Amino acid sequence: MTLPDKGRSVPARYKTAVLQRRQLSPGTVQLDLVRPHGFEFTAGQKIRLYRGNVSRDYSLASAPTAPFLSICVRIVAKGVLSPVLGAAKKNDSFSFTGPHGYFVFHPSNRHPVFVATGTGIAPFASICRSGVSGVTLLHGVRDLKQRYYAELFNRSAKQYVACLGSRKNPAQGTYPGRVTDFLAEKLPPGDYDFYLCGRREMIRDATWIIDDRFSGARIYTEIFY
Amino acid sequence: MKIYTGSGDRGKTSLFSGERVSKGDLRIEAYGDVDELNAMLGALAATAPPEAPELGEEIRRIQSDLFHLGAWLATTPDSPSAGMLKKLSEDAARLLEADIDRMENGLPALTGFILPGGHRAAAWAHVARTICRRAERRVVVLTERENHAEPLSAVLVYLNRLSDYLFVLSRHINRIAGVEDILWKP
Repeated sequence: MTLPDKGRSVPARYKTAVLQRRQLSPGTVQLDLVRPHGFEFTAGQKIRLYRGNVSRDYSLASAPTAPFLSICVRIVAKGVLSPVLGAAKKNDSFSFTGPHGYFVFHPSNRHPVFVATGTGIAPFASICRSGVSGVTLLHGVRDLKQRYYAELFNRSAKQYVACLGSRKNPAQGTYPGRVTDFLAEKLPPGDYDFYLCGRREMIRDATWIIDDRFSGARIYTEIFY
Repeated sequence: MKIYTGSGDRGKTSLFSGERVSKGDLRIEAYGDVDELNAMLGALAATAPPEAPELGEEIRRIQSDLFHLGAWLATTPDSPSAGMLKKLSEDAARLLEADIDRMENGLPALTGFILPGGHRAAAWAHVARTICRRAERRVVVLTERENHAEPLSAVLVYLNRLSDYLFVLSRHINRIAGVEDILWKP
């Protein structure tokens, strides 16, 4: 179900500007943005970025205490906003509303399993930077260059697995299959809280596997369109 | 933008608090009724007579309240997720009471049962009232199952008051539209 943003019907609108652009991999950049005075968020939440009449949602990858805001942008060739963001220069200005969403960490006595595909890793970067550790993190990537924030996750996750879609020629330290294959074949039985962030096909397939294998699990989802 | 994932195609859905439940679960029935009520209020607002311009804003406020109610119904009370929701205060029910009192001041005293109907918007208000009562009955059963958890008690108060509001609203709309109540003749 769709939920209203907590406590207000019209979210605040802020102005921001690009501090720096960093290439994460071919076709994906991280933008660091000026953090407006008074803007607060919980790790895992997103902002709605505007350029003219066009808007897109981006999860924040930075910590809630960081002096700037970071977003991950996968540049879609025929996209409307992402090519603009992919070519953004320092001081280019944008506006945004937020924070939006409820995809935040819920502490419990179950083991947290984070599952992401591509830039769906962004909210987990923010959550781990906010101090959450000891998690299992599965990241679906096309190649090793897409292991964004690997250093952070190697440090804070109990188990960090980059899942390469192909089962051929697995690289050391990676899993030769999709994140859903790992959930179906490798994750041992247990009590889990699953956090799924990525494309809708992954969310659907992962949810069904969890329903079949992990009765009683909690599932929190964030869909990347 | 595609809004579907298909993850509910096998008859289960996720509560806001993360649990996977059957789409036939009492919680889903309850917030489904609240959702239906909200949609009916939209129909009511779309047909409200021009003589009552204040109704649009009033109904939008109630629709917003119903979103918050739905969120609570989609959340197990003792879960960490409950901490993210806007608290249900008694103020919302008090506002409904003030609306009821204001409308009743202009209405003749009731001398018997009235037949639901009249102006199109008044008829929708009666339909909305019956959906509201159904939602209330579901929440009563849910409250009993959940050992009278506090947020559900607040939901019950609100739905009970909203049913009364919708009954008075139907009469109010008929009055300002110049349509007389039709008394039931047994």
